[in-house]
Amino acid sequence: MKCVACGFEGPVDKFRYLYNARIDASMSMRQCPKCNEWNAVDELKDEALEIVNPGDAPWGKSAGIEGISA
Amino acid sequence: MATTAKEIKEFEEKQEWWWVAEKTRSSRLDYLRKAVWKKGALGGNYAPGIEIDLEFPELYTETWQENEGDPIMLRKAKSIGNVLENLPIFITDQSQIVGCVGSAPHNIVSYWQGASMINEEIYNEQGILPQPEEKSLERLAALNEYWGGNTALDELAKVLDPEDAVKFMSGAIGWGTPSSAVGYATKDFRHIGKGFENIIEEIDENMERTDKLLRGNPSPDLLPLYDKLPRWEAMQEVLDAAIEYAARYARLARIIAENFETDPKRKEELLRIAETCERVPAQPPRTLQESIQYDHFVQVVVRYETYEGAMPHRPDYLHGPFFDKDVNINKSITRDDALDLLGEHLIRTYEIGIFSPRWTREGLQGITGTWVWTMGGVNEDGTDACNDCTTAYMQVARLVRIANPTFSFRWHPKVKDELMREIFECIRHGLGYPSLRNDPILVENAMYWHGHPLREARQWVTQSCMSPCPPTKYGCQPFRMASATANCAKIVEYTLHNGYDNVVNMQMGPKTGNAVDFKTYDEFFEAWTKQMKWLLNILVRTVALGRAKDPEFFSRPILSAYYERAVETGTDAVDYTNGERGNAWVTAFTWVENADSLAAVKKLIYDDKKYTMAELIEALKNNWDGKEEMRLDFVNNAPKWGNDDDYVDDIMVQCLKTTAAHGKEIKCVCGNNIPILPENVSGNIHYANVVSALPNGRRLGDALYDGGISPGPGLDKKGPTAVLKSCGKIDHVLDGRAFLLNQRLSPTQLAGEKGYQLWKSYVKSWDDLGMDHVQFNMVDDSTLRAAQKDPEKYQEVIVRVAGYSAHFVDISRKTQDNIIQRTVQGLG
Repeated sequence: MKCVACGFEGPVDKFRYLYNARIDASMSMRQCPKCNEWNAVDELKDEALEIVNPGDAPWGKSAGIEGISA
Repeated sequence: MATTAKEIKEFEEKQEWWWVAEKTRSSRLDYLRKAVWKKGALGGNYAPGIEIDLEFPELYTETWQENEGDPIMLRKAKSIGNVLENLPIFITDQSQIVGCVGSAPHNIVSYWQGASMINEEIYNEQGILPQPEEKSLERLAALNEYWGGNTALDELAKVLDPEDAVKFMSGAIGWGTPSSAVGYATKDFRHIGKGFENIIEEIDENMERTDKLLRGNPSPDLLPLYDKLPRWEAMQEVLDAAIEYAARYARLARIIAENFETDPKRKEELLRIAETCERVPAQPPRTLQESIQYDHFVQVVVRYETYEGAMPHRPDYLHGPFFDKDVNINKSITRDDALDLLGEHLIRTYEIGIFSPRWTREGLQGITGTWVWTMGGVNEDGTDACNDCTTAYMQVARLVRIANPTFSFRWHPKVKDELMREIFECIRHGLGYPSLRNDPILVENAMYWHGHPLREARQWVTQSCMSPCPPTKYGCQPFRMASATANCAKIVEYTLHNGYDNVVNMQMGPKTGNAVDFKTYDEFFEAWTKQMKWLLNILVRTVALGRAKDPEFFSRPILSAYYERAVETGTDAVDYTNGERGNAWVTAFTWVENADSLAAVKKLIYDDKKYTMAELIEALKNNWDGKEEMRLDFVNNAPKWGNDDDYVDDIMVQCLKTTAAHGKEIKCVCGNNIPILPENVSGNIHYANVVSALPNGRRLGDALYDGGISPGPGLDKKGPTAVLKSCGKIDHVLDGRAFLLNQRLSPTQLAGEKGYQLWKSYVKSWDDLGMDHVQFNMVDDSTLRAAQKDPEKYQEVIVRVAGYSAHFVDISRKTQDNIIQRTVQGLG
């Protein structure tokens, strides 16, 4: 997997697992061992998709009516 | 420039309630609100400028060292007395209520007699030592050198079973300290309300009577009386010191008024402060200001004795008659004056700051204790106890917008619509409180589990976040609980791993068998039951021993003086032999994971046979790594709690009933039952890195579910009625002591009168289904995400975390995300 921020490449388990903000989605947050940035990771594809900054919502909105209205 | 009505209207329309509050509150409340220091630790650290008070422990330790030969309660009373009589005091400008825990407004305190492990933690806290830091480190080292190995918890550690102690303190299964050095206690307000001088007089009479007995015919029955005398002396010592503490404020207020104050209005206020402090707590209060001041002194003074992390209280009930007399009958003050006093009451309480070690701060992010004030409810005779003061507290809460204390409202069918509207406004303004408690259910529950008589049960207050307790002579609960707090997700975890904990790498629970050998779900559940019993038993017996030894190792002179039963019997308030009825419970953190995990195991392993137990255990040991499809199967294709699905709901009820049956088998030190109480504070985040991967699809590191019976965030896919129906399958009287339910609602949907009516219908359904608790977050995603991005601009956004509220910017990123991911329910 390749860090979106610094390009560091390594197996997915080298990126520290932080947490999965939606248990029913395949995306999680993992921290790059080189630059410490938080990558949003597709766990099905072992692919880093984007850097997650405070306030970003890589999973879209909450479940429920807010999600539906989004 | 003055804010116009139009501007306020715009803020209201944008639902920027913090601006509405700031622009509409009185100038005094605005000043006081902005002048108060934020004492709750942010996600991890204390705010810049917050300092640990070293003067308090030094004064305490100095007297402690001088009185080595005294019985512990007397020794402690003298130490507290030295603090109350000599610690610097201050009066905040524009303030009308005085008294603070600590010698300066920016101080937090700690209790060196309590636990070396907490004392040592202070070394690790950057920035909280007063400048010059080098000098403070010397002072800290001197304190730690004296107390190291000699604190109450050090003493307790010597008598605990070593294996139990290691497991208890591992951090894996329980949360809390088996000592009243860290905890909370109900207050016997009827007794306290007599005035401290009258309590001192009662003690005098008890001592005189005892003295006469001791000088009469010798008998073995008289021997215990010798121990009572120094305890009574200790109670008098602290009450006298508290009166002197108030008198010091009176003198300070007079000095400022007569020598320095140039504003005649403020001079008058200072003289009123002086008169108030000359009256209370020595004598009972006569006015609203005296009543609030009395109350505040009671709360402050006891926090010079120990870390009281909760505030069982019913302020509208206590102050309501004075509010009514001053505002509505005598008209000696205006309603706005009264709101200023109530608002400052909230602010002065918020000002109390107590040092917490990091593990506690993670579980109670953003606050210094769960100070949940109980409002509303009924009187002893069952009539409506809500009064004008209840309404006023709701109104002023929206003006000062603090996160601690919060309110828990005892809802019952006779509550008037006008008051319900005030409550709804608090929720709509995003305070996250009051939580709603179903009074008839909880009164019945108190009688069922603990045998409290009806008239006492009707007086209940929230002991900490959730558990009701009657603040009566024999109902008051002096110790945190029976058993600290159980990390219940470990029950299913240990069932899967034969009692072994793969996070702390030790055998914790009993060896209930290799899960791959269980042929049926029933066998699996039998092992679950054994692990559940083991978990409750180890916690209960550890805390029971801590409780039994507490008067010997820690001692509570102030709390004893506050308890009629302790004053009457010359015992420590914590002494379980003085008539206490018992009101213990086990707080069940991370409970719902059991239901969802058991349902997933039953469905996918035993019923559908889609996976083998060996495959599941292997995946869990590897934290689901490389098994994402399988993990998603366990999340999405196994029934989940909160969707009105009998498959999993029956499992939840089975778990609760099995545990409730055990709650009748195990007994607290008073011989009473111990029900469980599922709730989490922010333990669901604290335990995220302690609970290993589970069959509900959670990985090690993921937040656990947020509530006591709240569905997993995003997993309640069938709407709020389905959530209520699932929760309604639980018997809220027989199956446990109380059940925390978080619900997130849409502020857009609940705007206006229509919004109120939707919410009211929801409350009716909640009551119809016999539920005991619900609390609401009503802040939208966009505001919360914006606050994450630009915290400086959103300092005043408040959210309901679990049994408490916090400013959103003060909680960790992980907790923030966990709140955002909660399902926003559409009503109607």
